[in-house]
Parts: sequence; C-alpha cells; structure tokens
Amino acid sequence: MSATRRQFFLDAGKGFGSLALASMVAGAAEQARAKRVIYLFMHGGVSHVDTFDPKPELTKRSGEVLPGSFGQGLITSRIDFRKALMRGSPWKFERAGEGGLEISDLFSHIRKQADKIAVIRSCHGDAFDHAPAIYLRTSGSQFPGRPSLGAWSVYGLGSENENLPSFVVMSDGAMKSGAGAYGSGYLPARYQGTVFRSGASPVLHLEAPEGVSREAQKTTLELIGKMNRGYGANREGDSTLEARMASYELAYRMQAEAPEVVDLAKESAATKKLYGIGEPMTDDFGRKCLLARRLVERGVRFVQLYSGTNLGDDWDDAHNDLLGSHNKMAKKSDLPVAGLLADLAGRGLLDSTLVVWGSEFGRTPLAEGKNGRDHHPYGFSMWMAGAGIVGGRALGATDEFGLRAVEDKKDVHDLHATMFRLLGMDHTEVTYRFQGRDMRLTDVHGQGEFTAWLRGGSK
Amino acid sequence: MVLLFLLIAAETELAEKALGILNRNCYSCHGSAAMAGLRLDRPEGLEDAIVVPGKPDQSRLWLMMNGKGRAMMPPTGKLAPGDLAAVREWIKAGAKWPVASGKAPLAKWWAFEPVKSFSAPGRGEGWARNEVDRFIAAKLEEKGLKPAREADRRTLVRRVSFDLTGLPPARAEVEEFERDEKPGAYERMVERYLSSKHYGEKWGKHWLDLVRYGDTAGFEQDPYTLYAWRYRDYVIESFNADKPYNVFVKEQLAGDELFEDPQQQQGTGYFAVGPNRDMLYKVEDINRIESLTDFTDTTASVFLGLTVGCARCHDHKYDPIPQRDYYRLQAVFAPFQKTRIFLHYNNARSHDLGEVTRQFKQYDIGAELIRLKTPYFERMKAERLSRLSAAVQEAFAAPEEKRTAEQKALHDAHMKEVNPTDGEIWKVLDDRDRDKLEALKNRLLGMYANYGPGPFAPGVTDVGREAPRTYVPGKGTAYGEEVKPGFLTALGGGEIAEPPLDSATTRRRAALAEWIARGENPLTARVMVNRIWQYHFGRGIVATASDFGMRGSEPTHPELLDWLAGEFVKRGWSVKAMHRLMLHSATYRQASNRGDGPNEYLSGFNRRRLEAEEVRDAMLQVAGTMNPKMGGKPVVPELSNEELYGMSQPAGNAWPVTMDRAEHARRSIYMLAKRTYRMPMLEVLDRPEGVLSCARRESSTTATQSLGLLNSKFTVEQAEALGKLAPERGWQSVFQREMTGEEAVMVKEFLARQTELLGSEQKARRELMRGLLNTNEFLYVD
Repeated sequence: MSATRRQFFLDAGKGFGSLALASMVAGAAEQARAKRVIYLFMHGGVSHVDTFDPKPELTKRSGEVLPGSFGQGLITSRIDFRKALMRGSPWKFERAGEGGLEISDLFSHIRKQADKIAVIRSCHGDAFDHAPAIYLRTSGSQFPGRPSLGAWSVYGLGSENENLPSFVVMSDGAMKSGAGAYGSGYLPARYQGTVFRSGASPVLHLEAPEGVSREAQKTTLELIGKMNRGYGANREGDSTLEARMASYELAYRMQAEAPEVVDLAKESAATKKLYGIGEPMTDDFGRKCLLARRLVERGVRFVQLYSGTNLGDDWDDAHNDLLGSHNKMAKKSDLPVAGLLADLAGRGLLDSTLVVWGSEFGRTPLAEGKNGRDHHPYGFSMWMAGAGIVGGRALGATDEFGLRAVEDKKDVHDLHATMFRLLGMDHTEVTYRFQGRDMRLTDVHGQGEFTAWLRGGSK
Repeated sequence: MVLLFLLIAAETELAEKALGILNRNCYSCHGSAAMAGLRLDRPEGLEDAIVVPGKPDQSRLWLMMNGKGRAMMPPTGKLAPGDLAAVREWIKAGAKWPVASGKAPLAKWWAFEPVKSFSAPGRGEGWARNEVDRFIAAKLEEKGLKPAREADRRTLVRRVSFDLTGLPPARAEVEEFERDEKPGAYERMVERYLSSKHYGEKWGKHWLDLVRYGDTAGFEQDPYTLYAWRYRDYVIESFNADKPYNVFVKEQLAGDELFEDPQQQQGTGYFAVGPNRDMLYKVEDINRIESLTDFTDTTASVFLGLTVGCARCHDHKYDPIPQRDYYRLQAVFAPFQKTRIFLHYNNARSHDLGEVTRQFKQYDIGAELIRLKTPYFERMKAERLSRLSAAVQEAFAAPEEKRTAEQKALHDAHMKEVNPTDGEIWKVLDDRDRDKLEALKNRLLGMYANYGPGPFAPGVTDVGREAPRTYVPGKGTAYGEEVKPGFLTALGGGEIAEPPLDSATTRRRAALAEWIARGENPLTARVMVNRIWQYHFGRGIVATASDFGMRGSEPTHPELLDWLAGEFVKRGWSVKAMHRLMLHSATYRQASNRGDGPNEYLSGFNRRRLEAEEVRDAMLQVAGTMNPKMGGKPVVPELSNEELYGMSQPAGNAWPVTMDRAEHARRSIYMLAKRTYRMPMLEVLDRPEGVLSCARRESSTTATQSLGLLNSKFTVEQAEALGKLAPERGWQSVFQREMTGEEAVMVKEFLARQTELLGSEQKARRELMRGLLNTNEFLYVD
C-alpha cells in the first residue's frame, strides 16, 4: 500500500483534523477509559418522575394544582401550569443494589443493573418541542445545521475499523427531527452517521445490483481499478485520486464485513435470551442492542440507538396515555438495555464503552388531559454507565414536584463536555473552522463538566 | 528654545511611534467602533486608568497587553517585544498625544479600505493572455514558480462546460472545438457555454447554497414553503440574463421597496426560502428572533463576506463589530413580514377566488362521501366482528375511555382486520351508490381540470412605516438599550433616515440595499468576484469566501482582487464579464498535472471532483436520459424505501413522488430540496443541508459514497440506457473521447468475461457502463 493510500485509511476514519488533534489530546487520553459510545436515545420524551426521579410529594398531592408560584414561567405547548393538576406516578419505586438507587417498576430489569449506572436527575433545557429538543440534545443547538455529537466524536477520535463506518445509527425509521439528528452539519460528509438496518443488507446500497454475482461485481470493480490506475498514471501525487481508488476497495470489503456484523447466528442462545431476542416485545430492540455490542466490539466508535419512531409507537404517546405508552415502550427496551449492560460487563467491554441513556426531555409532573403528560424540558433525568463510571448513585435533584432542576443543574453542553472528557478529549480543543469561527460542540458553554463525580469523586 | 523644540520633537516622535503601534493593533476594534466602550484613538479614551501617565504597571492598557488583565489583548497575539517596549516608554514618559494632531487615523484592515486601483504588472511576457495572468505571473515569479503547460483541447472544453453549465460537453462539441483552427476558437467555445440556458442552473446552484435555499421549512413537520421554487427560478433566470449584480442584490434585499415590477420584487424570496419554525405554538417571539438572526447573519455573510454572528451576544472578538452594530443591522429587518408577491395581479386574484370556492365545495363532497360509506362500513364491521371471539366483540363494544388495558390491546390488535378500508367499501357499493360515487368523482375532477400553481412568489415586505423597536439585550432598560437602524461602523457607519410620511414601509432594507450595492462599498464587489474566482479555481483569492474579517485568510493576490473588483464595477457589475476575464486567461487554461500542495499561487489548475448535482446530472446527460426542461414546481423522483429511511413524516406526504415519470430525469436543481432530508446520492457527495449559508462545499471521499455510485438503482438505470449503445459509442458519450487500442482490448476482455458470468451480452454492456460511470476520469474535472 502506498503512503497516500495508507493516508486515506487514516483520513477516512480519523479526518484530517483529528491527526492534529491526536497530539493535542494526548495528555487527556491517558486518563480516558472509554474508546466507544453507545447512546440509547428514547425518542419522544420519557417521564422522569415515573422512572428515575421519585417524587413522593407529587404523589401525596396528586390531583391538586401547583402551590404558589411553582408553575410561573414554565410553558409547554399543551398544558397550562396554573390550571393543570399534579399527578403522582402510577409506578412504584424501589431501591436497588448496593448504592440503593431508586428506580421505578417500569425499568425493573435495568434496576437489577443499578450499581452500574449513574443517574443525572438535574438535566434541563429550554426546547419543549421534539425537533428542536432532539437537535439540542444531539448537537447543542435547537436549530438544525450543526454537527451531531456522534459526528463530532468521530471527528475527534477517528476510526478503529476501516471496514466499517465509525458512526452507526439504528432507528425505528422516522425521527421527528429527520436525519439531521445524526448529520455532520458543517463537518465533511464522512463524519455523518451511517444508518444500519437489521436485515441482510445493513448499509444503504451495500448489495450489488440485482443479478450481479460477487464475481461479476469484482470484475466490474477491477475494471474501475484498472481505469483509475491508467488515469492516475500521468497525474501522480494527487492523493484525492488515490483516495477514491481506496474508497472502492473499502466499499468492497464493507460488502463482505457488514453482513457478518449483523448476522446474529453465531451468538449463543443464552446471549440472545439476555437481550430478549425471540420474545415478541423485546426482539426488535434486543437485536439492535446486541448489534450495538457487536459493532463496538469491532471498533465502531459511536453507536446511536433510537427507541421509538414518529410513524409508530414512541414515548410521546404519553400525551394521551401515559400508562399505556410507557408500559409498552419500557417493555420493549428495559430487558434489552439491561442485557446490554450485563453483556458488556461480562465481556470486559463496559470499562472501555460509555453507555448513555437519555431522551429529548422529560414529561410534565402535571396531567395532560385525563391520562397523559406533556413535554417537559425544565428538569429531567438521564443516566450513564461504563467508562469507569461509579454507578449506583444520582447527581443533582429537581424540586419536590419534579418541575425544575434545582441542584447541580446540568445542561446539554455540560453533558457533552463530560462525554468528551470520558473519551479523552477536551471539548474546548476539538474545533472546526466554519464561517470564520473555530466552532465546537459546546459552543462557548460546557463549564459544568461532571467527570470527576462520575468517577466516584465529589461534585 | 532649540532645546525645547528638540524636546517636543522627541516627544512627538515617541507618541507617534506608540500610537502607530496602537493604530495597527488596536484601533480596528477600539477606534470608532468603540468595542467594549473603549476608544484608544483619542486622548479622552485613555482616561479612567486605561493609561496612567508615567505608570505603566497601573495602566490597564499595559496589563491587558501583557495578559495580566481580564483578557489578553490584542486577541491575535502578544505584540512584538520592540513594540511593547515602545508603548511602555511612551506611557512612562507621560503618554502625551502628538502635538500636531489631536486624533490618530482609523485602523486599516485591508478589506474595509476602499478598493484600490492597480494596473497589471508587466510580467508573464510570452505567457500572459490578459491582465489576470500578469498579476498571477508576478506572484509566480516572486515565489519562484512556473506556470504549467496549457491543457489539451478536450480537457479545456470539458472543464469549461462543467464550470459554466455543470454538464459534460457533447462529443460533437468536443470535436468541433478540437477541429476549430481559426483564431478565437477558445473564446467562441467559452461563449457557447456562457450563453447556454444551463449556465443559470449551475451558477444559480452556487447562489442557492449561499442563501441556504430549501423548498421546505424544516423541523418536525417540515412543511412546504409554497412557491419557494419561484425564487429558485428567479435566481436561475437572473444569472442567465447576466443581471447586473448590484441590481440582483437590491432586488433580493429590498425588491418590494425599490422596484415596481413584481418580477424584481420576487427577489425578496431570499428572506422566505430559509429555515423557519413559524408553525410552533407559544414560541412566536423565539421564532421571530430566529428569523431576524438568520436574516442578519446570512445577509452579512452572503453580501459582505462578514461573520457578524459573534456580535449577537458580545462585541466581536476579532472584527471591529461591536454588539451595538449587530443590532443596528438587525433593526433593518425588524419590521419584516412574509408576504406573497402577485406576479400577475388579476390571475392571482382569480386563483385565490377559485381556491376558496373549491374548498367550499369540497366540504360538501367530503360530507357526501361519509354519508355514502357509513352504512357499508357499519355493516361490514358488524359482519367481521361477528366472526371473532366474544372477548374481542366486548372490547369493541366498550366505549374507548372505559376499555380495560386488556380490551385496549385486543381492540388495537384487531382494528385493521375489523374496520373495512375505503377501497373495500367502494367494491361492494350497490348500483345506485356506485352512480353517486361516480358523480362525486366527476365533480371533484372537474374542479381540478385546469389546476396549477398560482402566479405567486414568496417574499417579504414591512409591517408598515413604523417598526418594532430593537434593543441591545442586557444594556440600559429591562429590554436593553434601544438602537436605531444603521450601517457597520467599521465600514463608515451612518444612520438610516426616517422614511417619508407617506411611505408604506420603513425603507430600511432599501437603504441597506443601496449601501451594499454601491460601487464604493469596499466589500461587495470584492466578495462577489472572489466567489466567482473560487468556483472557477477551486480556491478564492481570499480562501475564506464568506469571511473577509480578521480571522479570515488574507488575499494571496491583493492587487488582482482589487483589480477584478474594480473591473466588475466598471463593467456594469456583469458576472459574465468576470467569467470571460477568468476563463480567457492563460492561468485558467493550465493543465492540472500537479501534486498535493495547496497551489494557492496557481502554478497549474486545481483538479476537482464533480459536485453532487453534477454527478447526477452528468450521468443523466451522458446516458441520454436527461429531461432538459427548466423551472417550475419541484420534482419528487422515485426512491427506494431504504433510501427514504429516516424521514420525519410519512413518505406519502413528505416525499410525494411526481406522477409524470419523465420529470424524474430532470436536473438536480429541480428536485425537491427538503430541509430534513437530502437524496442519499446527493447527501453523500456533500450537498449542504440548506440550513446555514454554505460558501464552499466540502469534497469528501467515503466508502458509502462509492457504494451509492456503484450499486444504486439510479446508476444501474443510467448504465442500462448507455448499455443499449454499442460499447464504443457508450464510451464516447461518457468520456467524450475514443478508446485507445489498449483500452479496446481491455473492454473486449471485460465484455467476454461478464457475458460469461452474467449470461447475456446486454448485461455485460451495462456492467461496462456501470464501471465507466464510477471512474475518476468521469468523476473529476481535470
């Protein structure tokens, strides 16, 4: 392989910028535990007061309006905070593990892994509709057009497996934000998320055209190679031409490797059971979670998993039916996510993998209509695991009704800064020049990093 | 006396030296722009312990310059030791102002200075074809570089064709140019593509990238911006007509205020075709601010090459743009409201009337349809239910709010099976009802017999003569400090006058448009000629095409840039005149055989990969399948379900495939430009999202790109069309040249092998063409 070809493989994954970055972040890398990320995004908005943020006071005063000025300044699109009634959680909370973390019955399987997870109960944002909130959580801006967290991560980290995309996305189809949620924004297209499907042809256009055998495809590729060598022969030294030749070789290898990744046949029955594969409610998300493990095992840097879709079930059905929607969506993902945590730990992968669970926002502690909860970005929960994080603990708090984050408030930039640190990067140093500015994921924010706390230290 | 004189002279010299240093390093921000309220260009600005005469270590200026203050100044880096020493000495000596003048001159940042008039240097003898080359030759000589040889004719015609029309030349066009021995052959060839109607489609696309054009508004619903495409067509037509650029600017910024002709007013579609989330509830104020931010940032970026966005929250850290200036500019747009421009008054009115009448009639048709189908629906539902278990029947009988969880599950599980679809109902109608349905259908069809888009264009105007107030947040009152509309201080400043009493608008945009579009504006012409240069040479004379500020790149050829800017204005702001200057040059005609360096001095041409749309369009063109129709409503081509993955809305609404399939083969610029979704083939080839202004596209190379180019249905279809030609003909169409002998052997062997593998010669030919469409020779402009 010529030097420039090798360069392509470096560049294809790492990006030109990250070569420089590598030296810049060398110091930070020493304390980095995580090399990869699995981000479990619950599409539609999960109620915090029904899952990871118990509020006995809310239950006690269920049916009353908010006292005093509690609701002042809060807006969502569907409820009036002066008139809507408080509604306690219909699910029971239990303490679990050595840490005694409280988690509701909705996530009884994740609860068994409680000592692995650190909950952040004081997340907050200001976007109360889906698309802006999804953009905000994934790119740090309510407006589309900015690179997503996954794109920034692979821009900063580079790739570990040249035969697979570094940033893989698995969703149930339609996102309320469209594909912008995993786009590369103003970063080059090579950093955008590649959608993986669970079928035999996981990547778009992976399969040769109908009726073209592997041998025939190879013959055509050889023709392209021959032509390109001829063209390149009197155009020496242009690495972009060589890079394109290499990209066809890579495409060919991806055709071989990607189907192997999604083929779960070699996984043991016990492993499949762990993820709930084969069970009607958990099969789909279980497969995605298992696939996520297989991908990080093979060096994929960032796996973004979505539970729920705009065109079918998602957590947002809680508008009219909190009980039904949350029971159903939790049922679909609880066991698979718990299985993923257990499996990663069992294989010794958890320490080097950062698992993040979150949503675009929480849901109102007040009732929407008779049976629902509206969107609620002013205080909500998420959790993180792996990457050397000391679990069984919770950071921050919302007020007694679960309305606002009040203690150790963490916004999305703090989260992103922390995730970058766990990956061995300083969020202020991973920049890209666009429109005259050195842009970064956290813009001018991210002062509320909580890496030390996650690793067992004080706040 | 003499001694005193000498003393004064020495003091003056010291002061002039120190102030000269401040001038070069500080005044661009702390001159008349008065960033952070600080002015260092007059004596009173030094009060307040900024400078304590005689005591450098107590002077805030000195501390800041040494990184001991709140911030390090200047932000571009610490001054040279010699300069620092001079400033220290001056403060120590009492920080006196020079005796002669009380005021130092304004800072000089080249881009804010008037365009200078240069004549072409007398260099490049024997090589130079025009003035452009003389400037280039001078720099090449200075850098010890030599120009490359001239490219061959086939390469040149292909290059010019792609650069001007985004399409490859026809084989016949190449031959014609190759054969043309008469003087002026090259110039005639350039003229052919400059006058092609496809020229506007290529250069219009550049402009649409800049103005973040889209057919939909973005976010979850991603609604259609009706008639956005009128603006797209307006842009294409403007380039084709070589509309003077200053007029083009004025039409877009203030067409409603400056022109009577609705064709010109529709330029204000510029404001309407960006992203917005107007439809969201309870956030109208946020949305308005987002729009104003978009207008302010995009306008400064596109027309002035300035990144003012930083100054939204604080004084710009690098450019002399104080926060106040940002809001003075934003105040220009404060009175905006979106509007529809009537392109033909009477037709527009009658279209509206027709639309309302149609809607009124449709209510009745809808009601009638329900009346017609309900008895069938109930009957069929009852029949189907009766065949199911008692538990299911109970679940359906229970009122929705009283269903138990189990009943709800049962109901949901059987809903599809129990409820008949409309299609099923229409099949079992009795004769009388079938006649009724037929009558309804005919009535409906009759309403749409001549239906089409109305003569409207999206645009903006003002709410009236009075504008809402604009405040700089966080200053002064609770709202902030009120500011009046005005121009950037760094470019001379100035307030915008109140409009005449009988004015229907504030005339603020008109004032801004006139200010931008005047020849004396130091940025307007420079920025535009630099963009044209970048699109031709791969890199601007200023590499950061939308950032002429201090963080942007400095020009590699400042004299050439100013000369071009001067010519641009002199030649009536003709964009095509600029193309001629650039394309006629020997610089442009160089071969691109070169290595990997940045090549900023142009000792050879910069080879480039085709842009996303060029790849798709070129495939259609060489396959002979392209539908050259121009303009009109966006086309929605058929895509596979896999390709449509990730869309936020059901494909039936979000991607309603155009029924006339002949439309699907039109040029990419006419394909629906959604904000939340890009056609995968264009997306992987770096088509921008259309949310932020894009001054220069990335050109990435990825495996997913190669997979798409290789295996997508689109490529296969084009290869199939090409495969119907004899292999030699197909080859000529793709590459516009003959096969070499060696290549003929290779092709023959390939066809034999693939015929064996695929079992048919036809398929083998398709494979050949699929291969050729994936070669670097096809995908690059050499």
